[in-house]
Amino acid sequence: MDTLFSQLSTLGSSVILLFGITLLWRKSLRAYTDAFRWQSAALTVMFLIIGYFGNDPELYVVAVFLFILKVLILPRYLERMEQRFGDQRESQPYVNIVTSLMLSGLLVLLAYVVTRPLVLVSDLPTRGGLPLAMGLIFVGLFVVITRKKALTQIVGFLVMENGIALLAVLGTFGIPIIVELGVFLDVLMGFLVMQVFVYHIHSTFESIDVDQMNKLKH
Amino acid sequence: MTGYLLEFSQALLALLLAPMLAGFVRWVKARLQNRRGAPIWQPYFELAKLFGKDVVMSNNASWLFRVAPYIVFASALAVTFLIPLIAAPLPFDNIGDLLVVVYLLLLGTFFLALAGLDTGTAFGGMGSSREMTVAAIAEPTIALSIFSLALGAGSTNLSHIVVATLTNPGVALSPGHLLAFAAIFIVSLAETGRLPVDNPSTHLELTMIHEAMILEYSGRYLALIEWASWLKLTIFFALLANLFVPWGLATALTPAALAIAVVTLILKLAILGVVVAVVETRIAKLRLFRVPELLGMSFVLALLAVTSSFLLK
Repeated sequence: MDTLFSQLSTLGSSVILLFGITLLWRKSLRAYTDAFRWQSAALTVMFLIIGYFGNDPELYVVAVFLFILKVLILPRYLERMEQRFGDQRESQPYVNIVTSLMLSGLLVLLAYVVTRPLVLVSDLPTRGGLPLAMGLIFVGLFVVITRKKALTQIVGFLVMENGIALLAVLGTFGIPIIVELGVFLDVLMGFLVMQVFVYHIHSTFESIDVDQMNKLKH
Repeated sequence: MTGYLLEFSQALLALLLAPMLAGFVRWVKARLQNRRGAPIWQPYFELAKLFGKDVVMSNNASWLFRVAPYIVFASALAVTFLIPLIAAPLPFDNIGDLLVVVYLLLLGTFFLALAGLDTGTAFGGMGSSREMTVAAIAEPTIALSIFSLALGAGSTNLSHIVVATLTNPGVALSPGHLLAFAAIFIVSLAETGRLPVDNPSTHLELTMIHEAMILEYSGRYLALIEWASWLKLTIFFALLANLFVPWGLATALTPAALAIAVVTLILKLAILGVVVAVVETRIAKLRLFRVPELLGMSFVLALLAVTSSFLLK
């Protein structure tokens, strides 16, 4: 039972990480949104698995909220913004695609190194997924740093948030539901604030390429 | 003695099945595109036709051009002796492990690229340079992903890997295995010249890779090269099927077990053939400079596979 649980959790974490890495390979915002939606769906399943094996019914409730927020609402908003701004392709990121893929591999290796002490002392059945969740946080941060469009950076931020949620649920089998709800609210607020920013950037520069913001210096 | 008989019958089986597999993929693709399609045994007729024809060769062709088809064919044929196709511990296991398999495949690619350069045509050189670009990223990916299996089994011997998976079936669902499967699947498409990387059914100058290298070949040489490339397709499919889903392979040399093994092998090849045909119908060819990105993705998958099977041991 325990081996099945640990295998499922490691497998689920790998799938979630893979959707994160897919971001680095794709270019159009639509592909970014799709990858985020699938990743959130996989994260929901992960919450359900941990809720089932860890005997914590609260996680089912969290999974429902997560599904509504990250699979239904946020991707919907992203699609609406994409329709408004036209097809925003990430055609010239700061780091090209092959290099970012290789670097993401290295980032995951780094995550393994960083979490090694934790994994060695832990006796959780889910410990195999911890490095992968940490790797997903790194990959999300990498997307935020190296992509130029404001919208793709937002998706990077959301993916990073997914990584934190995954790390939390793997490491603690569910934090108190009130904290979880607070986090969801924060994500939603953060997203809405960023959305306002994007609209402002677009109306000022006629583009959501954050490279343009360098003009403010002169 | 039975062991050697088994080895030869396995190689013969691969040799005879290979054209049928290529014909099957073509047929499924045709059906998916609402065409009637040639019968699946069409490639046998093609081989017979090509073997019956004379060879036309450029005056500038050197001995390299003449030996390359034999080397390409022989290296592919040699691999069929080394990989577990129908039975798991093979008598030739001690001759070569996965590294030998990977480099035998690369040997064929290398000589094909040399032959493409040999006659000095523009297309040949272009094809060779593209093939080498693809091979340079694809080969380490195969080696890495098989290494991730080898780490789990504790041996680089292909039969040992298969037996280890058979004795401990839970391993087949570990992330290392699944990531390695995805990596090898992408690489097999690239190595066998299938769609997102190369289109096997067209001779369009701008995009062809494999076809560009063999443009100068005719007659029995062309037949050997075509047969070798179908054999390569069979080898990759068999590796995918038997390394990751080894059930059905004969572990004892009884006639019943071997019969089951042959049937399941054909079944697995057919399933993979349908998958490849569907993939080829659904997606368009990638632009050439996006191919390294796709292969880079599969390399990362293989790297993650190795990491997770190494660190989760």
